[in-house]
Amino acid sequence: MTTRDLALSALFAAIIIVLGLVPPVTLGFIPVPITMQSMGVMLAGTIIGAKRGALAYIIFVALVAVGLPVLSGGRGGLAVLMGPTGGYIFGWIVAAFVSGFLAERLVREGASEWRQLGGFFLSSVLGGIVVLYAIGMPWVTLAAGTPFSAVAWGSLAFIPGDLLKAAVAAIAARSVLAGYPLLPQRA
Amino acid sequence: MDIIFSDCSVRYGERTALEPLSLRIEGARLGVIGLNGSGKTTFARLINGLSLPSTGRVTVNGIETSAEPERARTEAGFVFQNPQNQLIMPVVEEDIMFGLRARGLKACAAEERAAEALARFGIEALARRRVHELSGGELQLAAMASVWALRPRILVLDEPTNQLDLRNRRRVIDAIDAMPEDAVVVTHDLSFAAHMPRLLLFHGGRLLADGAPDETIARYHEIAGC
Amino acid sequence: MLTSLYVEGRGPLHRVTAGTKLAGLAIAGVVLFFVTQLWLLAVFLFLAALAYLTAGLSIREALRRIAPTLWSLLFLLAVNLFLLPMQDAAVLGLRILALVFAAAAVTATTPLAEMMAVVDRVARPLEKLNLLRPGDAGLTFGLCLRFVPDILSRYEALREAHRARGLKVRVLTLLGPLIILTLKQADEVASAIDARGLRGASKPFPSSERHSS
Repeated sequence: MTTRDLALSALFAAIIIVLGLVPPVTLGFIPVPITMQSMGVMLAGTIIGAKRGALAYIIFVALVAVGLPVLSGGRGGLAVLMGPTGGYIFGWIVAAFVSGFLAERLVREGASEWRQLGGFFLSSVLGGIVVLYAIGMPWVTLAAGTPFSAVAWGSLAFIPGDLLKAAVAAIAARSVLAGYPLLPQRA
Repeated sequence: MDIIFSDCSVRYGERTALEPLSLRIEGARLGVIGLNGSGKTTFARLINGLSLPSTGRVTVNGIETSAEPERARTEAGFVFQNPQNQLIMPVVEEDIMFGLRARGLKACAAEERAAEALARFGIEALARRRVHELSGGELQLAAMASVWALRPRILVLDEPTNQLDLRNRRRVIDAIDAMPEDAVVVTHDLSFAAHMPRLLLFHGGRLLADGAPDETIARYHEIAGC
Repeated sequence: MLTSLYVEGRGPLHRVTAGTKLAGLAIAGVVLFFVTQLWLLAVFLFLAALAYLTAGLSIREALRRIAPTLWSLLFLLAVNLFLLPMQDAAVLGLRILALVFAAAAVTATTPLAEMMAVVDRVARPLEKLNLLRPGDAGLTFGLCLRFVPDILSRYEALREAHRARGLKVRVLTLLGPLIILTLKQADEVASAIDARGLRGASKPFPSSERHSS
């Protein structure tokens, strides 16, 4: 870990906290406001890469665990981690890593804008949705005992919103790649 | 201080930030002026091994920066242009303590040293304040205290009076003047530069003038065209 | 601005060390999975709720803090009632409620500094493996908390800039600049950390008394 890795991860974790403190903002093309913190996991991996993105989330989850109200809506503490949705929170670490791992391989610096956007979108969907749910849903079943099939059916309701977030995250990741590329310097 | 630049140049890829330079700096104070992008910050960063020469070498009080960058950094402390980004812990005292503890000092010794540094710059009252809430002048003084606490022999200050109001500018200049340590000051503040015993002028990565402040400043006005 | 969910107090749990409480919580998490007796789980739940509700918060505030978790839990338990035999649903419900209350109790009775000390202890094996340098854990947490208010101010400034130019505040026009500006700052911060030699005690501190003159 270089000092730069630590600083990038720590400040990205701080961005994730700030995104939970500010009120939800509308996307523009649809009038629904979205909580920006929930996009953090897709942004972290695709913008600062797998290792640093995962580290940012290790810092963030540790801050939740030590009792700081850093989750959106001022939530935090061990109760959230022990609760039925705790798996999603731990899952963020893996999801950020996978998003970053895929983005590092799918997105090339010289590629056309659409190819980059596609790469970021795919990375966000696979890491931030597929992997995240693969960890979060069994946890719900394990913690609350609700049968897996019911959890899976219920989770479908969140998929459209998540796909939209993946699209927004992809656009944001591309604009950062254009303005201040950090992803290619794999850490 | 005794800083020797021998045929030292810095290149970033294609771009030359500093043309080959040979120079010896002695005495207690040195001022550095020049336009934006003239190479003066690169020059300053070379002194404590933050930037390393692409060719040639720099020795600071006998320490060659390329060979021992970590030792060079303990010898010469660096106060950045934007003190905001230099204070890395949430509370002023914590920040100073963190640097000292990282150097292996015990908690009580570090506390003593931190108190001494705060007193040196007249900011004892800021000890428990949050870094985020400090004003520009307070930030500058706190950043200087945090570097000074590590006991470098030389302090390199990059535009220390930048963006300060008149009163805070005076406070910072007085604090620099009162330091027993040697100092290299990079500045756009010409009236501050004017009372340095020796002043360097950089232009386009080259050392253009080196000497008494009035001559160097006159030259600076010439090249700036105003 | 970011204050811990810790509550000052002198209750019995306040006097237990952070390490013991966390270990206890972890053990409870495992052990409760093998307990299926309703009455025993009810006793656990009663004790955990008692511990949390007597930690020093008003009952209202105490419940408000864990309300989102409780609501999602109640929803899942209602689903369980439809899908599972009554007995199973009750066992599952009591078990997780007990754990949530116990976890909230640990958070409410352990000061931030003690929690951080535990994190440091957890990080120590990583230092031995040379993955981290001593003090890195403290450095990264400090950095993160130090820059939260800065980034929040930056966010507000970006919103203002939108308004000043008559633009609507939108996610995409905010996120990009916010992230780019912050990551540029991270680079400066990193070089300042190196300049001050803030990572690890690689060499003993020079002991000469340079300032005494």
